[in-house]
Amino acid sequence: MSKLAGLHINVGGVSMETPVIIASGVWPMNPSLWPKGSLEGVGAICSKAITLEPRAGNRGNRLRETHSGLLNSIGLQNGGAVSFIENDLPALSSSGKPVVANIAFETLDELRMIIERLNSCRDMIGAIEMNVSCPNVSMGGMAWGMDKGSLERSVTAARSLWEGPLWVKLSPQAPSIATAARICETSGAQAVVVGNTWLGMAMDNDREEPFFDRVFAGLSGPAIFPLSLRLVWEAAGSVNIPVVGCGGICGPEEALSMFLAGASAVALGTGLFLDSRIPSSTCEKLSEHMKRRSIPEIKDLAGRGRHFRRLQGGA
Amino acid sequence: MDLLHKSKHQPPLDLKGSLAFSEAAGSGCRYIRVETDSALPDTSPGQFFLLRVSGVSDPLLGRPFASFSGSGNSVDFLFRPVGRGTELLASLPPGTRVDLRGPCGNGFPVPRSRRLILVAGTLGIAPFLDAAARFSRTLGVTTILGVPGHGWRDFSGWCRDRIPDIHIASDDGTIGNPGTAVEEALSLFQHEDEVWACGPNPMLKNMGAMHSAGCERLFVSLERRMACGMGGCLGCSIETRSGSARACVEGPVFEWKEVLWNE
Repeated sequence: MSKLAGLHINVGGVSMETPVIIASGVWPMNPSLWPKGSLEGVGAICSKAITLEPRAGNRGNRLRETHSGLLNSIGLQNGGAVSFIENDLPALSSSGKPVVANIAFETLDELRMIIERLNSCRDMIGAIEMNVSCPNVSMGGMAWGMDKGSLERSVTAARSLWEGPLWVKLSPQAPSIATAARICETSGAQAVVVGNTWLGMAMDNDREEPFFDRVFAGLSGPAIFPLSLRLVWEAAGSVNIPVVGCGGICGPEEALSMFLAGASAVALGTGLFLDSRIPSSTCEKLSEHMKRRSIPEIKDLAGRGRHFRRLQGGA
Repeated sequence: MDLLHKSKHQPPLDLKGSLAFSEAAGSGCRYIRVETDSALPDTSPGQFFLLRVSGVSDPLLGRPFASFSGSGNSVDFLFRPVGRGTELLASLPPGTRVDLRGPCGNGFPVPRSRRLILVAGTLGIAPFLDAAARFSRTLGVTTILGVPGHGWRDFSGWCRDRIPDIHIASDDGTIGNPGTAVEEALSLFQHEDEVWACGPNPMLKNMGAMHSAGCERLFVSLERRMACGMGGCLGCSIETRSGSARACVEGPVFEWKEVLWNE
């Protein structure tokens, strides 16, 4: 399609028609549930998080709207790696879009076993995206992405087991996103996704107790966009591998900002709850901006906002 | 998923439209009509739309409302302002631009019995407002509205204007017969009647009395918080005898006996 001209990009070994990705956790795995035309402008589709064994997800409240945001506590509900391979992966692949397999693990053994299973269908998977926001059991439940040693061990392990493109979806809770991104790069990741939901919580004032059974929940939506943009800026300034901007993008303007801050691609999540045509409108916006600024290819857009001339420091 | 065969399998559409009118429906309730820019698909009773104000990010998510009188380019909704989202929607002047996602969910099945009892708890009447008249052309239809009491007098009257033979029951006995909608339904139930219910979840759980009374085809439309309305986020899951189900895809209408009512 001519309106996608110049938008083709290779992100960490994944060749995509556009730089707009459907983020993990928001999209039905069954294509018969996708709104008509909703894949227009989509470059790749991330699966929901895949764990080794099936997970029922969290009980109790799962959603709570906040001011311009959404807290969720779904609990990685999924059918497990085998069900993903047998049911979801063939369905997602039928879209013709690269499928990014988002994997969640609590031990290095689980990580190994998930990747071993995914290796059996390597040709149907565009990339593995490691979800390092889940707890590392051997570290007392601290998220993999929070600890430099855990992050390095898990990415190194995944790299040794998986020959295909390897992405890491970083936790915004990491003490330093720049350090975390560098660890991923030196451990063999080909792209980092920055970031994920922010840990928040809600209180049930009538019951005088936390609203969610697990107390904390992940905050998404436009409320977190400025925080995500800052993380992308920091990460993109510290690594040479591509950064995928993710977190609070609900329209084309925010997507463009992510590119200017250094993202090579963007992932859309909660924004798709509001309008499934955002990928298409984002591509139109990017094309229009590139045409106006005589930017031939989308890869040349990444980081253009970093070359600013404003004086650093001073009032 | 096993339950999916019961849903219509049609993914929702994302539509834009304008508020055509917004009227009081009594007791603080609002009756609104949205005219869409493009044609709506056919909807079944029990299906719903997510409705939000265009370009507004707070409140963020669309509110799920059962639709009625949906045809061509217009669709009607009935709701009561109970929070920030519904309060904003209730305050909108005609002409306001809105986003719609829908129709979502499965809706009630095609009736198989010759008699149909529609049981509503307050705003749960919405999916039946159109259906009662439509089905009464070919079936014996009994519609029951349950309300808490005198504060719902105007709304009860609004419903009676649309369904003249409606049976009304109130908890405090000030409107219609004293008692609950479920008790009213039990008193009118005959063997082989099909029963549909929509209302607050505790009322729907109590519809188990109909099951105990021998109702073989008992369907309920469940309420859940939801975000995507298209089966992606799994925020609206419901535990059923066939496993976890999504209110927005496999539901919101379930056979009463399929639902695990342990909450």
